[in-house]
Amino acid sequence: MKEKVIVCRCEDVTEDEIVEAIQSGATTLEELKRILRVGMGPCQGRTCGPILVSLLARELNKNPKEIEQWNKRPPLKPVHMKIFVEE
Amino acid sequence: MNNNYEVAIIGGGIIGMATAYYLSKKGIKLVVIEKGYIGSGSTGRCIGGIRQQFSNHTTIHLMKQNIELFSQMEDEFGFNVEFYRGGYLLLAHEKKMEQEFIENIKIQRKEKINVSLLSPDDIKKLVPHINTDGIISGAFCPDDGQAFPFAVLRGYKKIITENRGDFLLRKEVVKLNKNKIFSITLEDGTKIEAEKVLLSTGPWTRELGEKVGLDLPLYAERHEAMITERMPKFFEPMIVDYRSDGCYFHQLINGQVIGCYTPVPNVPGIREDASFEFLPNIAWRMTRLVPSLKNASVLRHWGGCYTMTPDGNPVLDESEIEGLYVASGMSGHGFMFGPAMGKHLSKFIVEGKWGMDFKDFSINRSFKINSEHLK
Ligand SMILES: Cc1cc2nc3c(=O)[nH]c(=O)nc-3n(C[C@H](O)[C@H](O)[C@H](O)COP(=O)(O)OP(=O)(O)OC[C@H]3O[C@@H](n4cnc5c(N)ncnc54)[C@H](O)[C@@H]3O)c2cc1C
Ligand code: FES
Repeated sequence: MKEKVIVCRCEDVTEDEIVEAIQSGATTLEELKRILRVGMGPCQGRTCGPILVSLLARELNKNPKEIEQWNKRPPLKPVHMKIFVEE
Repeated sequence: MNNNYEVAIIGGGIIGMATAYYLSKKGIKLVVIEKGYIGSGSTGRCIGGIRQQFSNHTTIHLMKQNIELFSQMEDEFGFNVEFYRGGYLLLAHEKKMEQEFIENIKIQRKEKINVSLLSPDDIKKLVPHINTDGIISGAFCPDDGQAFPFAVLRGYKKIITENRGDFLLRKEVVKLNKNKIFSITLEDGTKIEAEKVLLSTGPWTRELGEKVGLDLPLYAERHEAMITERMPKFFEPMIVDYRSDGCYFHQLINGQVIGCYTPVPNVPGIREDASFEFLPNIAWRMTRLVPSLKNASVLRHWGGCYTMTPDGNPVLDESEIEGLYVASGMSGHGFMFGPAMGKHLSKFIVEGKWGMDFKDFSINRSFKINSEHLK
């Protein structure tokens, strides 16, 4: 049996799932994020982002530099709601 | 790919995709043209709430069918779309709001919606973490709920593709003409011909309509949302606080809490930016209702559009140009409206007659009477 390779630890997504999404038409990080929730975990893609870029590049036969970066969403690092509420 | 179609659907959000899905099941030769990727407009920015608690008959009737359609998706698509009935709890802090709920409940019960007015004690039982200060009652329907927009779109795309529907992604429509049949020009110069065209282009529908001389009363507004880290599930319903400084939020089945508020005054324009004031505001509004959310971590915050009409109801109709259909103006409800709307619209496009009364959504209505109170 082929070993499962976890690419996004926060959202528990494997290499196979990512490759399948790319083969069924995803060409950007934004799309992968929407389809598989990769990069949407507590690390906000800091861990899996570079691997996703290289998987996209490999599957699409592109240079990793050609892969569009994802939109950076505030607040960039998780923040507790209470910092907005308490003085 | 041959460039001739029976129907061209411009806009791959929930409305265009649902309509394409039902058209493809009827064997119609169709293409979905989308300037970004599927779901890159408002649909990918929405928080996935689905409710039947409205005040307008047409909408309630439509939403009843939608709940049914969402519940069948897992079987149709072969995967889970995270449809979950956690209910919707609408809060009243004033007698006036409560009176409105009572009136609406009468209408909703006529449509056999299971909805009731809860006391603050009942509310506390339903959501133990809630702070009931100032709450006088709440309208609750346990059959309302949520689904994951991208999973729904993915399911539609899968079946449309199986039924040989075409997709043109990352292609913006820049020109639209009618000369017996429609000619659609894409940004790269490609020309597509179609007998019928659907504009399901959300906030961009107004400018596209202008290209063929339509003056559609559609206005975009920016709305923002935020999502937290996962937490053990600790409340079920979507909580809607209708005060002017209120908010609405629910916990997804994966444990993340996702929420929005409606800014007063509204923020007009097609904008997808995120403001500085949003996070402090939403944190204050949400923790006022559920204080334990103070310890929740916010992961992301984003902006997206509501497409509004003057009376709060959508536009779903054939335009004065024969064969040109318009479905837009979904306000904050397009995701939940989508499946049944697409189903009805596909029938209308093919057979020329509606399966239910949609005159409240007609393109020629006065747009003056505000018949939807539960925005
Ligand atoms: C923060 C937020 C929260 C929300 N929460 C909910 C909720 O809980 N429940 C709910 O039901 N609704 C909610 N909504 C509303 C919902 O997202 C919208 O009503 C719905 O997505 C509208 O779908 P649509 O298909 O009409 O438009 P869109 O999803 O915007 O689709 C239109 C598509 O047309 C494409 N397009 C535009 N112009 C062109 C062109 N010239 N050529 C090619 N393609 C083009 C766009 O790229 C876009 O993908 C929310 C919205 C926001 C912003
Ligand atoms: S590893 Fe993918 S989001 Fe953290």
